[in-house]
Amino acid sequence: MTKLIGIFLLFFSLNSFAATQKIEVLGMVCAYCAQGIEKSLKSLSEVNDVYINLEKFFVLVESKNDFGIDEKTLKTIIVDAGYTVQKIENLSETIKDVRKKYEK
Amino acid sequence: MFSVKPIFSFILLSAAINCIAAPMTFKDSTMAMVEGSNDFKRLELSYAITGKESIGLRFFNIEDKQHKVDGGGVFYLNRLKRINTINSQTNLWLYLEVGNVDNRRSKNRQAYLSPTFQLDYETKRIYSSLSHQILRGPHENFDRTQIKGGFSFYETSYEETQPWFILEVMNMNSLNNNTTFIPTLRLINKTLFLEAGVSTKGDPKLHLMYTF
Repeated sequence: MTKLIGIFLLFFSLNSFAATQKIEVLGMVCAYCAQGIEKSLKSLSEVNDVYINLEKFFVLVESKNDFGIDEKTLKTIIVDAGYTVQKIENLSETIKDVRKKYEK
Repeated sequence: MFSVKPIFSFILLSAAINCIAAPMTFKDSTMAMVEGSNDFKRLELSYAITGKESIGLRFFNIEDKQHKVDGGGVFYLNRLKRINTINSQTNLWLYLEVGNVDNRRSKNRQAYLSPTFQLDYETKRIYSSLSHQILRGPHENFDRTQIKGGFSFYETSYEETQPWFILEVMNMNSLNNNTTFIPTLRLINKTLFLEAGVSTKGDPKLHLMYTF
């Protein structure tokens, strides 16, 4: 029985995934200003990784859980850093995947 | 006796007071700034109490053949308005400073109050700002207008250092023929903001900001 539970837990952990949320941000034109977004998001204990793309005006947040970060919290952080949130959506890709797509 | 008027004008022309430390960063961040040229040195520490307000301390020293001035003050910076679009940001800043200058050669001490308004517009490739400083002390009344404009040589990603060329033009309203031009190279990284320039009068200027 213990083995069965162990196998079940292992299976479950292998199939669990981190949630990635994409935030489209208005006004994000320079790295010196946008660093506040990265630092504030990384200070959240549920956040695993953050990716900022100035060219396409978005921020990605990868959480340690599979349901993401509360949208209200994300919006507050972006607004406190001086920016405007245009849209928040869930992505099926990881930050690693997105980095590969945009960074040559 | 050294009059108070040359102290203020000298300080203003040396740009020792009130170069707004914008862009202000983010809530609970601390920023250190040093600036210097042949004649003056400046150290500034500020703390962002909210997403759009910061408070700080400033110390400066100006020294040449005629002057030996120490000064310092406290300041409050407020971003009164921010307009964000997909590829630009426009800001209106208010900067209030209260302090004291001390000319050690003439033993002349002078308190000052100095509000500044700054409007800036920035995209990933273009920067422009217009600021107007009002400096008031006992029997004193000086204004200074500063225009900065420039461009980035190329667009960069968030992780890369972005180089800019900025031309700074400064005019002090109360004095004639005192327009100064400073071509400047600006480098921006995530936590680092560096400007190095030489005025048309040959005075080098270095400006460094770091956010913790």
